[in-house]
Amino acid sequence: MELLPSASLFMLLLLSLLIFLPLISIGSVLDGQVEEKFTEELLLKPLPDRKVLAHFHFESTAPRTQYYGRHHHLFPKAIAQLVQKFSIREMELSFTQGRWEYESWGGYDPISSSSAKPPGVELWAVFDVPVDQVDASWKNLTHSLSGLFCASINFLESSTTYSAPELAFHPASVNLRYGTLPREAVCTENLTPWLKLLPCRDKSGISSLLDRPSIYRGFYHSQRLRLRRVKIRADAPDSDTVLEQTLTVVLQPNGIRSKESQSSKRKLHPTWSMSSLFGRKIEGRCALAKSSNVYLQLERDLVAEMKRLKEKRKFFDISVLNEDLIENPAFEISIKPDLVLREVLSSQNESSSLTYEYSIGKSASPNTFDLSFTWKSPVAWSCRKPPLRASRFLMGSGNERGTIAISLRSMGPDEGLNVSDMDKERCVLPVNIFQVVPWYIKVYFHTLKVFIDEKPMSVLDAVEKIHISPSEDKVSPGVMEMVLKLPCGVKSATITLEFDKGFLHIDEYPPDANQGFDIPSAIITFPNIEASIYFDQEITLKDLPLLSSFQEKNPIRYYTEVLLVPLTTPDFSMPYNVITITCTVFALYFGSLLNVLRRRVSEEERLHNAKGKSGPLSRLIAKLRRSKEIQPQSTTTSSSLFSSKLILKIIMVAAIAICWQYLSG
Amino acid sequence: MKETLKVHFQFSPMAIRILLLSLCLSNLYASSSAVASSSQTATHTNNWAVLVCTSRFWFNYRHMANTLSLYRTVKRLGIPDERIILMLADDMACNARNKYPAQVFNNENHRLNLYGDNVEVDYRGYEVTVENFLRVLTGRHETAVPRSKRLLSDEGSHILLYMTGHGGEEFLKFQDSEELQSHDLADAVKQMKEKGRFKELLIMVDTCQAATLFSQLHSPGVLAIGSSLKGENSYSHHLDSDVGVSVVDRFTFYTLAFFERLNMYDNASLNSLFSSYNPSLLMSTAYYRTDLFPRRLEQVPVTNFFGSVMETIHTDRPYRARKRKESQDRIRMPLKEAVQDNQQRRLSDPEIEVRRVQAPEDSIGRTWNSLQNKMKIFEYPETFVYYGLVMMLPLLAVSTWLYS
Repeated sequence: MELLPSASLFMLLLLSLLIFLPLISIGSVLDGQVEEKFTEELLLKPLPDRKVLAHFHFESTAPRTQYYGRHHHLFPKAIAQLVQKFSIREMELSFTQGRWEYESWGGYDPISSSSAKPPGVELWAVFDVPVDQVDASWKNLTHSLSGLFCASINFLESSTTYSAPELAFHPASVNLRYGTLPREAVCTENLTPWLKLLPCRDKSGISSLLDRPSIYRGFYHSQRLRLRRVKIRADAPDSDTVLEQTLTVVLQPNGIRSKESQSSKRKLHPTWSMSSLFGRKIEGRCALAKSSNVYLQLERDLVAEMKRLKEKRKFFDISVLNEDLIENPAFEISIKPDLVLREVLSSQNESSSLTYEYSIGKSASPNTFDLSFTWKSPVAWSCRKPPLRASRFLMGSGNERGTIAISLRSMGPDEGLNVSDMDKERCVLPVNIFQVVPWYIKVYFHTLKVFIDEKPMSVLDAVEKIHISPSEDKVSPGVMEMVLKLPCGVKSATITLEFDKGFLHIDEYPPDANQGFDIPSAIITFPNIEASIYFDQEITLKDLPLLSSFQEKNPIRYYTEVLLVPLTTPDFSMPYNVITITCTVFALYFGSLLNVLRRRVSEEERLHNAKGKSGPLSRLIAKLRRSKEIQPQSTTTSSSLFSSKLILKIIMVAAIAICWQYLSG
Repeated sequence: MKETLKVHFQFSPMAIRILLLSLCLSNLYASSSAVASSSQTATHTNNWAVLVCTSRFWFNYRHMANTLSLYRTVKRLGIPDERIILMLADDMACNARNKYPAQVFNNENHRLNLYGDNVEVDYRGYEVTVENFLRVLTGRHETAVPRSKRLLSDEGSHILLYMTGHGGEEFLKFQDSEELQSHDLADAVKQMKEKGRFKELLIMVDTCQAATLFSQLHSPGVLAIGSSLKGENSYSHHLDSDVGVSVVDRFTFYTLAFFERLNMYDNASLNSLFSSYNPSLLMSTAYYRTDLFPRRLEQVPVTNFFGSVMETIHTDRPYRARKRKESQDRIRMPLKEAVQDNQQRRLSDPEIEVRRVQAPEDSIGRTWNSLQNKMKIFEYPETFVYYGLVMMLPLLAVSTWLYS
């Protein structure tokens, strides 16, 4: 800010009055602008199946004004250039390995609907360009990202791999492109450039926890990068660029050995701490971060379970009043939280989830932060499950045709749909299904069948909207988007589609074609059900992007499994085999044929007889005639039996020999 | 009869060659000096490395470990990441079969994790194809390809090209589905030379029959090292029972053993690297082709290719046009390294031998080759023999007369 007067003075010297005037107007805009901002947060959550969820959330915000131009303090320049060059309005890139267990790790909370991603790479982007330039921008973007993140994202460039959803994908836009690479490997080389976008990299702050071997040892890890252009005020001329980087890891704590007996140990969840999970501790906050927080979240069901446990133990009279459960019979936390956030619920009969907040750098020991979580008594609880559990599978056998089935099942009467305000007869649950199928899986969309509660339904009744773009061989994939309307009390719903397996050109097979081909995950969205957590303390949340992202109204999203389709794979060594076999057959045939034609049995016999009678000299000559490779020097003395040609040759050799001797000697 | 013909032919080339040499000596001298001066115009300004692992599948772990070891070595010796093109055909570090996630080892003792926190893989998985490899070498990319995936070398660059995988006579397999042939490699190198993409190029190949891959190279400034001769296999060094597969190949293992002793400031020459290969330890014979390389190997420090050590030129005053310094490398050679390089040379192919002999005057060789081709057109060896015979008769007479 101090530079501005001197800069404008300098400009005044150089430029004429004409240019000076707009400069002032820019300066006046500058007064009202916000600065770049970076925050780092980590959320830890014990999971019901003895694992721990760690969700890292880093957010950088850059105001985009005319003045700011290309200079950034905290915002990564590489990303800013991408946004500028390709006019990206919104983008999300995720690298995932492993499959999110919706039933045991939760399918109803904001983390699962935003950070559970399909395996491999998923990329979607919305561009601020005219419709006819979107494809070109997409292609360039995939190449740039592949260079930036050391991944083969450039395979999404080909039109057979990406699609333009219109109906069933969340930020609906004409300029949206979506593509996935289900088999892309995710490893250190993808995480390192992602970390390099952070102002402190992995040198200090929360990101210093990210020890590569311990992260990749986990059951699930998903690294995500989300770019948004947000208008803070409606009248603002330009929008801020928000870069949200999250890393979601599900880790198995090793379990510090306790002295309890085997039986109770089996029930007791393993004790963990940050240093046992990651092998590292947080050594102070990142100096550039505006806020640096660690949260510990307890599920609704866990809180309810602990309250029940507490009531059972009557002697804990004092702590019954203690609503924030910091001291409880089930577990012990090594560090007392700075703040306890309670979820605000619409209905009062449930217990709300708790979030403990720790500010790094402000806690009791300022240098190292190592939160440990010790279980004292066995507790069993369950996560909030998704409204419907989706699974996708293949039916049929053989290499010719098959059927894709997507089945949605209710998770039981108590879970899922909260239909409180309307009667169950008229209530309708809309479900969006978005499915991309590669062109070599030729789906017959007219064979679409819908079964609700295992009864076949007419498509017109069950499907509210449908949008299909059939695949075109080697040009575009098949895309199916549909909005199903299901009755609220639905137990199960299934849709099936038949397909034929196509043939690829021999050049198009990957090197490991025998492994099969992947059909990317289908996305199932429940547009009317929002996964959000509202907290009771509204004031503090402005600077806490992770918690405020929990309050956003995002629909629940569910990714199905990736399907592996075995295609007919040719035997690539076949041409070679054919050549070899044919040659052998030909050689055998012609060899024996020539043998039969050329051989004169009677003559051979006569010769054989003659040989038996003749002297040793003629026998030697016969032998010599047959084998030409014997050196002829020894036979110079023999005379009359040779043909004139042979004599000539022998003389010639002798001449060469003499000449050679003469020249070399 | 075969034998006689052969004798005759082997004689006549030499005679004709002597004739040729005497005839067009002046012309050749001029052309060869022109070549020499053009290669000297550019000074060594930067170093690049292209490291390629061409094998897919878990059991080829060692090829990735080989490549990553070399990657670590060249990084340690000073080539920055943006000047290294690393191509890995499969993902071993985060492979489901890997007991040590995000780690790759090249030794049983697991002391060194090659897949540290800062690996930058430029081409990986299905991207590692012959096409992409040749595109990287020749620089013929689509416009959208980012800079990190390009070999942006110039006429002052020293390039290290390291390849490992499964190969055979005059080919190297990529991903178990394609082959890079020696002709492809030679063509790409020729194109690079013509485009001024390198000053000197060191090709190092660790594969079976690696020497055959170099047989088509003709471009000046190329030095090639192969792990084995024609008909020889290259073997892995040892098996790691924890990882479950072999972790390093012999040739690369002993190359690394040589480099582990060095740091950026060492003056060890390429010759000492080459003489460090012991055929009984390698279980194959390391082959190197030097006939296209202008400098003497004793005068080339290994850091010219494996590191990024530039020749510094001291100037008294800034902003003054410096005189072009004659390239005169002063390299102190430790005594133990002063092994005669001839001891190590093992030659398999007479054809290669012939080419090696004619190395200093490369253009003579070229003319000679064309002449030989013309002689091949001369279809009837029989008549040729008879003409020779007629010519020999007076010689015979003269010789007998001389002896008598």
